[in-house]
Amino acid sequence: MTVFLQSLISGLLVGGVYALIGIGLTIIFGVMRVINFAHGELVMVGMYITFFAFSLFGIDPFVGIVIVIPLMFLFGAFLQKTFINRVLNALPQNQILLTIGLGLVMSNTVMLLFTSDYRILSTSYSSGSVNLGGISISEPLTISFLITAAITGALYWFLIKTDTGQAIRATAQDRDAAQLMGVNVRRMSVIATGIGAALAGTAGALISPTYYIFPQVGSAFTLKAFVIVVLGGMGSVVGATIGGLIIGVSESLSAAYVSSGLKELFVYVLFLLVLVFKPAGLLGKSRM
Amino acid sequence: MRTPLPLPPKPRGVAAMPLVLGGAVLAVLAVLPLFEKSPYTHHIFILLFLAIIMGEAWNVLGGYTGQYSVGHAAYFGVGAYVTMILLDKHQVAPWLGLWPAIVLSLVVALVIGAITFRLRGPYFVLASIAVAEIFRLIALNWKDLTNGAEGILLVSLPPLVVGGKTLLDVSAMPAEQAKIPFYYAGLGLAVVVIAVNWAVQHSKLGYYFQAIREDQDAAHSLGINLSFWKNLALLISAAFTAWAGSFYALYTGFIDPNNTLTTDVSVQMVLICIIGGIGTILGPVVGALVVVPLSEGLRANFGQVHALVYGILVVLVILFMPDGILGFVKKLATRRPAPAAPTAPPGTEVKA
Amino acid sequence: MTKLLAMLAAAVVAFPASAQVKIGVINSMTGPEAPIGENLTNGIKLAQEDLEKKGVKVQLVWEDDTGKPQISMSAMEKLATRDGVIGVVGPYTSACSNAVAKLAERYKVPLLVPAAAKEEITRQGYKHVFRMNAPADQYAQVLLDAVTALGKPKTIAFLYENTDFGTSTSKAAKDYAAKKGIQVVADEPYSKGSPDYRSTLTKVKSTNPDLVFMVSYVADAILLMRQAREIGLKPQAFLGGGAGFTTVQFSAEKDISGFVFSATQWTDDVPWPGAKDFATRYKAKFGKEPTYHAACAYESLRVMAEAAAKAGGDREKLRAGLVDGKWSGVMGDVDFKDYAGFTNQNDHTMLVQQVLDGKYETVYPQQFATKKPSFPFPGWK
Repeated sequence: MTVFLQSLISGLLVGGVYALIGIGLTIIFGVMRVINFAHGELVMVGMYITFFAFSLFGIDPFVGIVIVIPLMFLFGAFLQKTFINRVLNALPQNQILLTIGLGLVMSNTVMLLFTSDYRILSTSYSSGSVNLGGISISEPLTISFLITAAITGALYWFLIKTDTGQAIRATAQDRDAAQLMGVNVRRMSVIATGIGAALAGTAGALISPTYYIFPQVGSAFTLKAFVIVVLGGMGSVVGATIGGLIIGVSESLSAAYVSSGLKELFVYVLFLLVLVFKPAGLLGKSRM
Repeated sequence: MRTPLPLPPKPRGVAAMPLVLGGAVLAVLAVLPLFEKSPYTHHIFILLFLAIIMGEAWNVLGGYTGQYSVGHAAYFGVGAYVTMILLDKHQVAPWLGLWPAIVLSLVVALVIGAITFRLRGPYFVLASIAVAEIFRLIALNWKDLTNGAEGILLVSLPPLVVGGKTLLDVSAMPAEQAKIPFYYAGLGLAVVVIAVNWAVQHSKLGYYFQAIREDQDAAHSLGINLSFWKNLALLISAAFTAWAGSFYALYTGFIDPNNTLTTDVSVQMVLICIIGGIGTILGPVVGALVVVPLSEGLRANFGQVHALVYGILVVLVILFMPDGILGFVKKLATRRPAPAAPTAPPGTEVKA
Repeated sequence: MTKLLAMLAAAVVAFPASAQVKIGVINSMTGPEAPIGENLTNGIKLAQEDLEKKGVKVQLVWEDDTGKPQISMSAMEKLATRDGVIGVVGPYTSACSNAVAKLAERYKVPLLVPAAAKEEITRQGYKHVFRMNAPADQYAQVLLDAVTALGKPKTIAFLYENTDFGTSTSKAAKDYAAKKGIQVVADEPYSKGSPDYRSTLTKVKSTNPDLVFMVSYVADAILLMRQAREIGLKPQAFLGGGAGFTTVQFSAEKDISGFVFSATQWTDDVPWPGAKDFATRYKAKFGKEPTYHAACAYESLRVMAEAAAKAGGDREKLRAGLVDGKWSGVMGDVDFKDYAGFTNQNDHTMLVQQVLDGKYETVYPQQFATKKPSFPFPGWK
């Protein structure tokens, strides 16, 4: 029983971070219908920013989010304006390859600049945990879960209550109609990408105390992010949230009950099942 | 009145020139090992042939039929592993072991096709990646079958014995010559795959494939059995990819899940086609000619830069040359000449 | 005339022949194994300097295999056929070394593997492949011998990365554990790069093992121990099979590295000639403490270069020189022998160290020990 509960709790906590990554991806897809294969690399960039903020300036990773969010937002906006915007009307295959190329450029530039040494962030609470009835709950993961929940809540408020947020949702629902209604869809695309990148980078910052950091760390996240987004329904923020938690838990449980080496296998099989039987995901398309 | 614009150049008849050129290149390549003795040069050419085979194989499905699979590593890996496992554990000669590898890859292709072909666009791409990853994880964890992460190391290639007579014994050859059989095998296979692409493009098969690529629903409404033709394209593509995998395994003598079943391998195949010119016969050749020397040259001199250069190349190609280098060159070559300058409108007097 | 001849003769005798040898090096200089690869690079560079002082000029041809076996093989091909080296030192990882060994034998180029653990590398009867370090079975043996001398553990759990290195080292350990009558209660290979080991560690914890044997590189070693602490895994001892568990980066993590035993090929406490001095000079030159890989690489280049200097550019003579030669240096006595199914294997004594007060102390075998080992594991603070 302990094993089950421990796996469940760890899975949920990690799942929260996965959810954040997924939400970023789903927003980008929802607004531009572009599948961002470089999403994992955005997480990686967030991790590196956090790492250097910590090792050079002593800024705590969780505090460092304050820097990561605006930096990543600008980076995402830059990517959109310079690259992604040009292929909005191209074949989806080309869009995919472009983002794959961007991902390759990002991870390899980082590798050249900072070498592929594995970096470890050691904070005072990196291995801290709270023991609740035999179950150990990781301190850093709990904090990141809470921050994730806060950010998700704030994002939701933004999308539903603010003008810009509603404009973004309109663009996601129907780009042409939104444009006819006076929404600057170009601007919305830039903002959406910025938000997506910021979320991805933040996720990276949040798990950096418990992960190790290296240039290729992104690729594992990209595929997982897609599974989450498809599971939850492309374009649905709530869906991505739930999807993230589900993936976190299933990974954790399969690691405990089957084998650590096979835990990703389960995630991908789940992915294929969803794609085949319910491609619209749990919560359908284009609804935020 | 304006002079009419000059017509674009008349298209020529059967492209005799390319055939002649192709024949000449082939002749040169065929006799190259007689002049160039360095095993390292042979090695580069073999890598080139391998890249061409992989690119052309992918082209059938991705280029002509428009189904962008970024999971072709699955077939590559199946080809490599089946051949090696049969050789390593059951002492089945590679020339025999090649065929079960190809057959198995066809079976795998049918299964994958059945699962993924109902998906469109990006969903298909994602599914293909997931499938390849599943294969990689299976290879990594099914240690009894595949040796897991340790991979399979080929000690020496058994001699080719036909009817009691030893025709070819690579392990007995001096090191300087040992690559030459692979050179010719690679060259032969590359020619075959290019020929297959040519046959596809110039046959009804090609029309069906391209119709599916242009607009699946329209093709369907015209009575084209989508499932049949897509699977056919996949079978052709998978068979040659598996053959390439088999060849790679026998040549390098070492395979593990990391060098045969990763997304990198799949992306490499797509890259070769995209850079050269997707959906063309020679596009993958051009792509291979760019990618292989770049990769070797950069690795020798700059270590890890080559992956970065790939990435930059892809971005540039997609943004500025979405039809690849060949497409770009074609566009330049068939560009209409600029219209003649307009004559002065009537009524204007030319003042002396 | 006689005077001219005498002068010429004097000239020839007066200038000692400064031997020039061309040796290839294959190493993981970039890629995920680069941090440890760096130790090999530095060890080799230091050896090159020392050799020059003794009159042996070594020209090195460096090849980076980025940790991938097929690139390692390409590199070997290039060194053997294009660069005309007399011998090769390297590679670093087990996977690369095993793949390259086959090529070394095919091209008849003497290969001296400095630090790779996989037993097979010198178990294939290859005449041209030599290995400086003790193979994987020794990792297991020395660790289990050390621990069974301190207590009576009955069960053991294995946690290792599912790479060539992790799998072969833990396989050897499992075999030896069986011989010692210790029961294997958990066998968990993990994929690198997916560092949430909590579920796996919980599973291991539930089997209540007396010993936990891990095979990992640095990053995973740290994360595994961090998460082990989180979930409160408390065996009688943690056993680290080399690599990640022997680096300063690991011992610096004071919260989690304490009392961990690790098998090592070398420490700076050993009484072997020049060992301490090597450590001091290495630290002075490169600013870091050397790991055992540095010492292995240093000695490997030294041995190969000295043998090559006598071989006059002939690969077969070099091979014979390596087979017959005996050396004594920072790695103790070096003698490549055929024994117990190994060919050209240096019968090197491994050591066990333990992290005590944040520092590595040699604790086993007794003749090398600088401190008494602490057993059992006192628990997490």
